[in-house]
Amino acid sequence: MAEAAIPRSRALAREERRRRLGPFGVLTHLALLVWTVLVVVPIAWTFLASVKSEDEIFGDAWSLPAALRLDNWARAWDQAHIGQYMINSVVVVAFGVFGTMLFGSMAAYVLARYRFVGNRAIYLLFVSGLAFPVYLALTPLFFVVQNMGTLPVVGPFIGLNTHAGLVLVYIAYSLPFTVFFLAAFFRTLPGAVAEAAFVDGASHTRVFFQIMLPMARPGIVSVTIFNVLGQWNQYQLPLVLLNSDRSKWVLTQGIADISTAAGYDADWSALFAALSMAILPMLVVYTIFQSQIQKGLTAGALK
Amino acid sequence: MASIVLRNVDKIYAGGVKAVNSINLEIKDGEFMVLVGPSGCGKSTALRMIAGLEDISGGEIIIGDRVVNHLPPKDRDIAMVFQNYALYPHMTVEENLAFGLKLRKMPKAEISKRVNEAAKMLGLEQYLKRKPAALSGGQRQRVAMGRAIVREPQAFLMDEPLSNLDAKLRVSMRASLNTLHERLGVTTVYVTHDQVEAMTLGDRVCVLRDGLLQQVDTPQNLFDNPVNLFVAGFMGSPSMNFVNAELVRGDGGASVAFAGFNLPVPQETFTEKPGLDQYIGKKLILGIRPSDFDDAVIANGHAGGWARLPVRAEVTEELGSEINVLFLIDAPPVQHQDTVAAADAGDDEEAALPLVGDKSLWTARVNSRSHVRPGQNIELVVDTHNLHFFDPTSGLAVGHPANARV
Repeated sequence: MAEAAIPRSRALAREERRRRLGPFGVLTHLALLVWTVLVVVPIAWTFLASVKSEDEIFGDAWSLPAALRLDNWARAWDQAHIGQYMINSVVVVAFGVFGTMLFGSMAAYVLARYRFVGNRAIYLLFVSGLAFPVYLALTPLFFVVQNMGTLPVVGPFIGLNTHAGLVLVYIAYSLPFTVFFLAAFFRTLPGAVAEAAFVDGASHTRVFFQIMLPMARPGIVSVTIFNVLGQWNQYQLPLVLLNSDRSKWVLTQGIADISTAAGYDADWSALFAALSMAILPMLVVYTIFQSQIQKGLTAGALK
Repeated sequence: MASIVLRNVDKIYAGGVKAVNSINLEIKDGEFMVLVGPSGCGKSTALRMIAGLEDISGGEIIIGDRVVNHLPPKDRDIAMVFQNYALYPHMTVEENLAFGLKLRKMPKAEISKRVNEAAKMLGLEQYLKRKPAALSGGQRQRVAMGRAIVREPQAFLMDEPLSNLDAKLRVSMRASLNTLHERLGVTTVYVTHDQVEAMTLGDRVCVLRDGLLQQVDTPQNLFDNPVNLFVAGFMGSPSMNFVNAELVRGDGGASVAFAGFNLPVPQETFTEKPGLDQYIGKKLILGIRPSDFDDAVIANGHAGGWARLPVRAEVTEELGSEINVLFLIDAPPVQHQDTVAAADAGDDEEAALPLVGDKSLWTARVNSRSHVRPGQNIELVVDTHNLHFFDPTSGLAVGHPANARV
C-alpha cells in the first residue's frame, strides 16, 4: 500500500507543479532553449572551423569539412607557440588564483567575523574596487609595476615582463569581488562551531584553516571558478605588463597575435585551433565543478 | 576537576547594557550547578564569560586556583557543549571527538583509547565513521557531549544542550546527563531556561533575572523557600498562586484573609518566618503552591487541620496521575513587577484566559481520583503549613534568612 502511495503522490506533485507554472513553464523552457542555442552555436562553430581549411571557413558556415585538418592544431601549437603560451597561462592563473583565494578568504573571514575599529571602512575599501574598471588606471599601473622592478632584491622578479608581477596585479584586481562574496558567505556560517574549536584549544589560525575554510567550501569553489575564468580570459593586463618579452606571453596574447601578425593574411584555421585550445580547459573546469558552482551561488544568494 | 568562583562579575555591552550585574557565585569541585532564568537574564553570558568567549567587564573569575580573566578559552581547561551542538561538519564523529586531543599533542594511542571509551559510554561506537549530517539530533547531541568528555577537563560548561531535542528525548538525555555526572564527577555549569531541567539536574540551582542573581540553593530549598516573588513564580510548574491578602489575628489565632476566604496560619509558621508577626493587620502577598492543594474528599483522613476552600472548577487538565484544577478567586491578579516577569518567562497558557471582573485564576493540583469535571464545584483543602508570604512592595519573602540580613 505504501509503495503504491508514493508514486501516486509524486505524480500528483508533478501535476500540481505543472498547473502552478502553467504557460510560464513553457515560456521558461523556450527562453532557456534560445539561450542554449546562443551559447552552443558559436562554440560548435569555433570547434568546427578549427578542423576546416581556410577556403571551407569562408564558404558555407554549416558545411562539414571535407577532411579533418588536424594540422591546424599542430600549426597553432608549434608555429604560433600556443603550447608555450598555454603553459604560461596555466602558471600565471594557478598562482594568481591561489594567491587571490588565500588572501581573499583570509581578509573576508576577518572582516566578516571579527569586530575591530575600521572594519567597515576596510571592507568598503575592498568592495569599492568593484566599481573600478581595469582600464581606468592602466597607465599608472604600468608605472607602478615598472617601479616595482627597481626594488632591491625582489625587483627583477616582480617588475614588467615578469609572471610574478602579473600575478600580483591579478590578485589585486580579483580581491574586491572575492572579499565581497566570501565575507557574505562567512557571515552565514554558524559562529558556535568556531567557538567550539576555540574551547577545544584551536588558535585563530587553526580555526580558520581547519574549521571555517572547509565549511566555506561551496563558496570557495564558486569564487575560485569565477577567478579562474576571469584571469584566464584576461587580455588587457598582460598586453600592457608583458609587452616586450614574447616568451612570457599568455594565451590571449598569442591568439591575438595570430590574427594580427600577418596583417590581412592571417592563418584563420590556426586561429580557430588556438581558440579551441583556449576554450577547452575552461569547458572542462566548468563541467566538473558545475554543481558546486550552483550550490555556492545559491548559498550566497539566499542570505 | 576544580571549583569555579565568580567574584563581582560584571558584563557591560557596548551601549551600557548590563547583561550581568555583579554576580557572586561559588561552584564547588564536582558540583552540578544550573543557571536558570528567563531569556535575556544573562545566564548564557555568564557561562560564556566562564568559557572565555566573552570579555569580563568587571570582577574576576577563578577556575581551580587560577584567575582566568585574561586567559583565552583554550588555556582554561574547560569543555563546552553548545545548544546547536556546533559539531565540525566536515569531520567524522571520530575526528570530531579527537580534534581537541590532537591539538593538545596527545599520543595517538591515548587519543584512540579515550575516543573509544567515550563512544562506548555514549553508545556512539557504530557511528564513529559517520559525518554529523548523517546523524539524528540525539546522536549529534551525544557527539557534542563526547567531545567534552574525551578532553577530561576541569569543568563542563553546557549552554542549553537539550533544548533542540524533542520532549521525549530530552527526558531520557536528562537522565543520562545525571548518570554521566554521577560517574565522571566533573564540575558542571549548566544553563537552561527550563525550570524542570534545573530542578532535576542541579545539585544547586542559581536563579538569575536581568543580570542579577536572585537565589542559589538546592532545588528543594528553592521550591520550599523562594527568596522573593520572582523565584517563587518562576520555579515550579504550574507556578505558584498569588493573591493580595491581609494577615489578621483573631480569637482562634492568626489567619490570612483574601477573596472572602480566611485561612488559619499555624503558630509554627511564625517561628519559622521571623518577622511575619510584624505584618499582622497589614497587607501582604500570599503564595500557595498548586501542589499544596488537594481534593477534600480524597484527602479526607490524612489532611487533619488543613483549611477548606470551596471553589468551582473552570478548567481541568488531566495529567493521568493528577489533575490541574483551574479556578477563579474573587480578587484581582497580583500586579507586582516580579510576578509579571516570572509569568512572562514561564509557559503559563492559563494566563491567556480572559479574566473578567477582577478575578484571578488559580491552579490546584489534586489527585486524579478526584475525577473533577469542569463546571463542578469542588472543595479543596490547603496545607496551611506551606503558605508563602511576600512583602507587597519589595516582593521579598517574609522571614527568609537571606532577606533577614538586609
